[in-house]
Amino acid sequence: MEHSNHLFRFNASIFKLPKSAKLRSFGVYLSGALYAIGFWSIVDAAIYSKTVNASVVHVTFVDWIPFICSTLGMLIVNSIEKANLFVDSNNSFLNSGSNTNAWAARVILFFGFSLLAGGLAGSFMVFILKFLLKKYTFPTLGMGVSNIVSNGCIMLSCVTLWLSQNIEDEYSYSLAL
Amino acid sequence: MNPLNKIIFLSAFLASGFLLILLSCALYNNYKPLWVILIFLLAPLPNIVSSSIDNSRDNFLTFNNNDGNTPSPVQEFCKSLTGFLILSGISLPLTFYHTHLIELGSMVMSILGGLIVYVDIVVFIWFFSEEEEENDDFNF
Repeated sequence: MEHSNHLFRFNASIFKLPKSAKLRSFGVYLSGALYAIGFWSIVDAAIYSKTVNASVVHVTFVDWIPFICSTLGMLIVNSIEKANLFVDSNNSFLNSGSNTNAWAARVILFFGFSLLAGGLAGSFMVFILKFLLKKYTFPTLGMGVSNIVSNGCIMLSCVTLWLSQNIEDEYSYSLAL
Repeated sequence: MNPLNKIIFLSAFLASGFLLILLSCALYNNYKPLWVILIFLLAPLPNIVSSSIDNSRDNFLTFNNNDGNTPSPVQEFCKSLTGFLILSGISLPLTFYHTHLIELGSMVMSILGGLIVYVDIVVFIWFFSEEEEENDDFNF
């Protein structure tokens, strides 16, 4: 009975997250803080390109597209009800209505994650195509770097929020038992 | 410590925080760091709003018996908004300094002043919500 539940041979319960409400709220604060770092990083790049920029390269709308993609992805990923995702398809007679719901939730979640990953990849693409291939030196290159930092921070923020939301799920589950 | 002393000390701290931010603007004759005051005054608001929503929610007729174990999405959003606002208050002067809009001393003073203002508001809420909880020991 116990063996059939595990997919791999090692026991995955070693990697269980610690259960505490304080850690969860700290994770939520941390995710907001990481998002703020990402936001201000790209705003910093935009203001920098307007004020002390010594080169001809400026931050245009193209640089903002990865940020917009990441933000939309984070919004989608974290506004999904996570109870829908882990519905077991075997006991569908218990909750027959939520099975199609789970399918839709998974598709939307995939959409959100691909928007996040697309944002990060897009920031790398902007960095390479706009700054690196034209062989700019560092003060100009910094605008592309801050774009990457921004999207990476938003992705980290999403990961933190996801993990910290899963902390309390197990906690309340153990209380319900 | 009686409440009057608390109020006097806290208001002195609050005044010093505002003084630091205003000095950071006035000494360099550059009034951009004033936005820090607005951000740090907004920062405690989401938690206040979410706690008041949580207190007014009626658990009796809705039959959901999670007694505050799983925070509601509104609460989570407010917490994350708090983190966002605090980091914004710190990174706005950093951005201004990086883009040569303000001086170094102005940046340091506005960050310190903003943090003092925020901590002061949080401590104020903490002091005066603690006294209400003394009455009901079994609030879980």
